[in-house]
Amino acid sequence: MAENSIFESYLAEQGYVLFEYLGGGEFRALGSYPNWCKSIWGAESIRQKTLRLAELSPFLENFLVDADAFWNSKRKGAANSPVWIERDFANHETPLEAWAARLEGKKILIVRNLSSSFAERQRLFQTARDSLLEHEQLLREIQKKEILLHCIIHDLSQPLNAMRGCFNLLSMEKLPGEQRRMIETGQRESHRQEQMIRGILEAFSGELAVQQNSDGKASEAPDLAACAHQVVEQFSPAFLEKGIRLQLDPRLDAAHGWRVVGDAPRLERIFGNLLENAMRYTPRGSGVTVGIEDKVHCLLAFVDDEGPGLPKDASSDHLFALFSIGKDRPGKAGLGLYFCKITVEHWGGSIGAENRLGGGSRFWFKIPRAMKTTPIRSADKRSATQKSSPSVAAAASVAPLSKDQPAPLAPGHLGKASRRLQILVAEDTDVNRELVTELLQKRGHSVFAVEDGRAAIAALSKKHFDVVLMDEQMPGMDGLEATRNIRQMERASENHQIIIGLTGNVAEEDKQRRIEAGMDGYVTKPFDMQALFQIIESHTRGGQQPGPAQANPAAAAPASEDAAAHLERSTAGNKKLAQSLVRSFLADAPKKISDIRRAVAQKNPAILASAAHAFKGAAAIFGAPQVVAAARNLEAMGKTANLDGAEREFRTLESEFARLKADLLALRTPSGATRAAHPRKQKK
Amino acid sequence: MLQKKVCMLGSFAVGKTSLVRRFVETIFSEQYHTSIGVKVDKKEVRAEGRDVTLVLWDIHGEDAFQKVQISYLRGMSGYLLVADGTRQQTLEDALALANHVAEMMEKIPAVLVLNKCDLAAQWEIEPDREARLAADGWSVFRSSAKTGESVEQAFSQLTLAMLRK
Repeated sequence: MAENSIFESYLAEQGYVLFEYLGGGEFRALGSYPNWCKSIWGAESIRQKTLRLAELSPFLENFLVDADAFWNSKRKGAANSPVWIERDFANHETPLEAWAARLEGKKILIVRNLSSSFAERQRLFQTARDSLLEHEQLLREIQKKEILLHCIIHDLSQPLNAMRGCFNLLSMEKLPGEQRRMIETGQRESHRQEQMIRGILEAFSGELAVQQNSDGKASEAPDLAACAHQVVEQFSPAFLEKGIRLQLDPRLDAAHGWRVVGDAPRLERIFGNLLENAMRYTPRGSGVTVGIEDKVHCLLAFVDDEGPGLPKDASSDHLFALFSIGKDRPGKAGLGLYFCKITVEHWGGSIGAENRLGGGSRFWFKIPRAMKTTPIRSADKRSATQKSSPSVAAAASVAPLSKDQPAPLAPGHLGKASRRLQILVAEDTDVNRELVTELLQKRGHSVFAVEDGRAAIAALSKKHFDVVLMDEQMPGMDGLEATRNIRQMERASENHQIIIGLTGNVAEEDKQRRIEAGMDGYVTKPFDMQALFQIIESHTRGGQQPGPAQANPAAAAPASEDAAAHLERSTAGNKKLAQSLVRSFLADAPKKISDIRRAVAQKNPAILASAAHAFKGAAAIFGAPQVVAAARNLEAMGKTANLDGAEREFRTLESEFARLKADLLALRTPSGATRAAHPRKQKK
Repeated sequence: MLQKKVCMLGSFAVGKTSLVRRFVETIFSEQYHTSIGVKVDKKEVRAEGRDVTLVLWDIHGEDAFQKVQISYLRGMSGYLLVADGTRQQTLEDALALANHVAEMMEKIPAVLVLNKCDLAAQWEIEPDREARLAADGWSVFRSSAKTGESVEQAFSQLTLAMLRK
C-alpha cells in the first residue's frame, strides 16, 4: 500500500494523471486528481464519480477515436497524441500529451502536463524557425543585390561611356579657353562619377566574392556533372517527401570530367532553382530527371519534369523575366529563374524552357566548356580584384587620371600612332560604335565597324585586321562566342588574331570568361581613350609618335612622367632615395630578366614564377604598367605550369622594359627628375 | 447550438495563431511565437439567422520539424488555408497542403487567406495570381491579423460555405 502511494506521488510530481476507461464515454481517475486538472476541466467533474473527457476537451474527443481503436486492437505499446494546449479558467495555457495503453487488461488513458519541459522545447523550435526565416530573408537579399549589381554594370555604364567619349572627342578639338575649361570640368566630373559607380560595384563584388568563394572552389573550372550529382543528392529528401522520383539521367557519367566556365556554388544554385521549380509543378507519383548532354562547344544541362507542361502563352523570356511571379508558373519571389538567366548569360551561355513530346516540360541551360587558361592583359585600372594590392593597382594604371587627382587630358595630348593599324570594331550600340570609330580614326587608325560577332567573323574572312575590338554582349552572336569561333578557326594555322574585349563587367569571373574565350585583353567601359589606345598599340607595337601638341615638350606626357609620379609617391618626395632606387633597379634588372629568359627557355615553371614575381615587384615601384602586366602574366604561367605563349610574353616584357629603362635613365639627370616630378604644374 | 470544426492550415510563421487571436480576442502581438502542437479555441458567430459555434483548431505550421497529422482533421467542417503574402513559397506550400487534404478527404469548404497585407512593400504575390486562384474556385482574402483587415470576412465566408454545404 505504501509502495503504491509512493509510486502515485512520483507520477503526480512528474505531471501524470491516469484514467481508466469504463465504456460509454466515461472515465474514472486512478489515484489523485491533480489541481491542474481541476483548473482545466473543473473540480465539479471529479466530485462526480466518472468523467466524460470527450465533452470536456475537443482535443481529447478527437484523440479518443484513435485511443479506442488502439484499445480494441491487438497492438502492443501505446497510442500517443501530439502535444496540445488547454486553457484553464484563468486563461493560463497548459501543454499536454496523452497516451492510450492497456495495463492489466484495463483501458488506460494517461495524460501528462508538460509545463516543466515545454519552455525548452518551445525555445528550440523558436530558434530553429527564426533561423530559417532569417536564412530565407538573407537569400532574398543576396539575389536582389546580384540583380542590382547586374543592373549597374549594364545600364549605368552605357550612358556614361557615351558622355566620356563625347568629352574626349571635344577635348581633341581646338577650343577657346573658357570652353576648354568647361570640357575639362565635364571630363573630370564624369570621371568622378565613374569612380563612384566603380566604388559601388567593388563593394558589391567584394561581398558577393565572399559568398561565392566561401568554399574555396570558385577559381577552379567546375565540373558540371559533379554539380548535378551534388544538387540531386541535396534535393532527394525533399522530393521523396513530396512523393516525386528525382533521378540523374542514367546516361550521365560523372567520369567525363565536364569542366565548364563559372563556379560550382552558383552552378549548383542554378540546378537548385530549376529543381525547386520542377518540384512545385510535378505531381506526386511522377518523376524529375536531371541530365547533361555534350554539344561539342558547350554542354547542355536539363531538368525534365512530368508536370502539366508550360502554359500555352508562356515564352522563355517571360518565364525567366525579373519578378515574373505568381503567373502561370510562379517562382519563389520572381528572382530564382531570373538569377539562372543572368548568371548563365553572364558566363556566355543561354537558358530556356520548352514542352516535352511525351508531356511535362524541360528547363535547360547551355554553358561553354572551360578551355585551357592563358594569361590576359588588361587596360582596366579599376578592377575590384586589384585594389587590394598597391603594386598591381599601380601596374594597371594606364590612364593619366589618378583616383585622387582627376584631371582632363590636354588637347592633342596623345598625338598620332606611329603605325596606321587596321582595326575591326564589333559593337552593337550605335553611339559606342561611332565614338570608338571616331577616336581611333583621330588617332590615325583605319577602322571598319560591324554590329555583332557574326559580322566580325565575316569581315575577318575577307580582310586582314591588326586588332579586333570586340564588344562582349551583342545580340545574335556575342563577343565571347565570336572569339571562341575565331580561336577555333585559328587552330589549323599559325595565325593569332589580336582580340581586345570591350566590356562593362569588372568581376573576377568576367576576366576568367575572357581568358577562356581566348581574348588577348580588354578595356572596361566607360573607357578612357588613352587606355584604349595604349592596350591596342601595346599589342601591336603601334607605339605613339610625337603629334602636333607634343612638339612642345611641356605639353607632352611621356611615360617617364608616370614613372616619376609613382616614384615620387613611393619615396614621399625623397629625391636621393628615388635616384638610389633607379640605380639599384637598373643594375639588378638585367640579371632578373636573364633569369626569366632562362626559365622560359628551359620551360621551368617554378623558376619562372619566382623570377617573374621578383621582377614584377621591383618594376611596380615605377608604375610601369606594361612591364608589370607582362611580368604578372609570366608569373601566372609559372604558377599554373602552363607556359603556352611564354616566349611571346617574354618578348613583350623585354621591349617594355627597354622603354622603361630609357625613361628611368632620363630621370637620373637632375633636370629630368625635376621636370618629371611636377608634370601637371609644368603643363600649365 | 450548431458546432463546426474549423482547422487553420499553412506553413510556419504565416500568422495562423495571430488570425485566431484577432478573430477570437481582437488582439495582435508583433512578437512571433512559434506554435507547437494544437490549440483549440471557440467563437460564437451568427450566420444566415443561425447561431454557430466555431471550434477553431490552430494547428502548428508544417515544416521539417513538425508534420500535420491527418488525424487532426477528423470531423473538420471547413478550413482556412493561410499563406504569408510576403513569402511566395508559403502559398505554394499551402496549396500543396490543400491538395493533400483533397486527396485524403471529401470536398470540404475552405477559404484562402493571404496574410500580412499590411506589409505592402514586401508583397510577393501578384494580383493576377490571385485572380487565377479565384478562377480555380478559391475564395481569396488579403488579410492582416495586425490591422484586422478581412479577418472577420474570411471566417464569415467560411461559415456561410459550411452552412450551405
